[in-house]
Amino acid sequence: MLPAPDPPLVTLRDVSRVYPHGGREVVALAGVSLEIRAGEKLAIMGPSGSGKTTLLSILGCLDRPTSGQHLVDGRPVEGLDDDALSRLRNREIGFVFQACHLIPQLTVAENVETPLQYGGVPPGEWRERALHALARVGLAERSDHRPGELSGGEAQRAAIARALVGAPRLLLADEPTGNLDSATGEEIAALLDELHEHGSTVVLVTHNEALGARARRLLRLRDGRIESEARA
Amino acid sequence: MSAPKEPGLPGLLLLRLGVRSLKLHKLRSSLSILGVVFGVAAVVAMSSVGEGARRETLAQIAALGIDTVTVRPRPAPPGQPPAPALPLAAVESLRRVVPGARSVAPVRLAELPASAGARSAAAVVVGTTPVYRDAARLQLAAGRFLVDLDVSDRKRVAVLGSAVARALFPLEGALGRTVRLGGDYFEVIGVLEGRAAPRGRGTAIHARDLNRAVLVPLPALDRGVDARPDGVDEIVFRAATPEAVVPAAAVAQALLRRLTGEQPLELVVPREILRQRERTQRIFNVVTGAVAAISLIVGGIGIMNIMLASVAERTREVGIRRALGARKRDIATQFLVESSILTVIGGALGSLLGLVGSFLIQAFAGWPTAVHPLMLLAALAVALAVGLGFGLYPAWHAASLEPMDALRRE
Repeated sequence: MLPAPDPPLVTLRDVSRVYPHGGREVVALAGVSLEIRAGEKLAIMGPSGSGKTTLLSILGCLDRPTSGQHLVDGRPVEGLDDDALSRLRNREIGFVFQACHLIPQLTVAENVETPLQYGGVPPGEWRERALHALARVGLAERSDHRPGELSGGEAQRAAIARALVGAPRLLLADEPTGNLDSATGEEIAALLDELHEHGSTVVLVTHNEALGARARRLLRLRDGRIESEARA
Repeated sequence: MSAPKEPGLPGLLLLRLGVRSLKLHKLRSSLSILGVVFGVAAVVAMSSVGEGARRETLAQIAALGIDTVTVRPRPAPPGQPPAPALPLAAVESLRRVVPGARSVAPVRLAELPASAGARSAAAVVVGTTPVYRDAARLQLAAGRFLVDLDVSDRKRVAVLGSAVARALFPLEGALGRTVRLGGDYFEVIGVLEGRAAPRGRGTAIHARDLNRAVLVPLPALDRGVDARPDGVDEIVFRAATPEAVVPAAAVAQALLRRLTGEQPLELVVPREILRQRERTQRIFNVVTGAVAAISLIVGGIGIMNIMLASVAERTREVGIRRALGARKRDIATQFLVESSILTVIGGALGSLLGLVGSFLIQAFAGWPTAVHPLMLLAALAVALAVGLGFGLYPAWHAASLEPMDALRRE
């Protein structure tokens, strides 16, 4: 099959992921095929253990498939060494984790600067770009605080600022509202919508039906397979 | 396919991040470096004793002159009658027989109080001849040295060491004044140039502190109870060239043996003492090195321990950084910088403590100590090496964590 003239941002072909676990093999993903085009918003739902997080890890180049193909921009990820994968994560992918995962001994601004530090961005630009990203999530005035001093919603917004500071093309969010009360969760969901409207490609893993329903495209996983796919 | 090599985080940022992380556990970080602190302190203090001894030897050899040979009867063990003196006639024999010997000077010694008016000082009175000036490399600050006429006429004249001159005549010039040595009066004809005095004690060379000496013509020094008026306590001579020192000393010893009838002698040959001293120094260096190695290994294991704990605690940070684009080597570098900060701080504190220790050793034990500046530099370099060496395994461990596992770890 020849690559399309404009390849999808991400392509998964028959991707499986098997973990060795206590002498047995646990199948987390069993033959998932998926294309994500630039500018899409995709929600992934499914019960615990259905393979959502594994799928997101593979999309985020944090984990490699046991079998099957993973392409970014039509180029296979399979042959990349660890340095090249790190670079790909740094340049193309922004992560938002359920538990924020801010580094506690750094200030909010320093946390947001971290991807720029690893991306070879000149140090003189770090602070300005971090403050700009924080302003986009409405957190500019908290830039010098430590993560421990932030509320849950603020911490998640800081994490989103960190995910988008390097202008990645793919934003991956793992249960971004999972630890938040519903009002704050709504704020974060609105923020992700807004980023999507401004052109970001967003992939969202969630338990929350309402949040899933906001995506144009909704994927349901069960036992490591795609159970259904719906497009709004 | 491989990404182009990128430099990773700038050094200053790494240092800042390292300090920030170490501050998370101030007490633990401080305790973890104690091994390195005490190890480096022990090594610095020990080596300061070695260095002090080395400088002491060099100073004494400089005072004696590297090509000067001193022969004296071996001191009798305590409780036995004192060793007989050397015959004065041996001086002339040595001068004629020993090849390359020049300025062969007899030396007779007496510790006598020196006084002038109301002032007094303890002095070593040295009865000798004019050639002693060359043999002992003396420089005059004022006046003249002894001449042959002083000796043949038994003139009561004296050349003062600089310290004696200062003690007896602090304000006025000493020349032409009279000093009393024991019961006799002497006219001061000259004052010696001051020279670096050998300090300390218990070293191999008993270099005379000539600053505290008073030189008088040999026959003018009357010790009253002297059993052999023609005897001398020492014979000092100088070899014509540095190479001639050892053979000249050997010939002198053989000759004196025959002249004195196998009397046990003591030969002070600075060049030989220097060699012996260097051998001792090498042994001392090996011992110091072993102590250094053991204590630094112990210190390093402490660092490794704490770094492993730190990696375990910050597994999630490793996962986050990997997700944000840190390469394995970025993670390894970060932890190596942290372990190095710890050990370099430990090395610096240890050096300070070692300096204090060396000062205390000198103050209380009375051993001369000296710290070579390179020693401090070496201490820091070794501390850095310990940080890098013992930080390697924890750093490698952190770098090889799987990003996904690291993120999920609680």
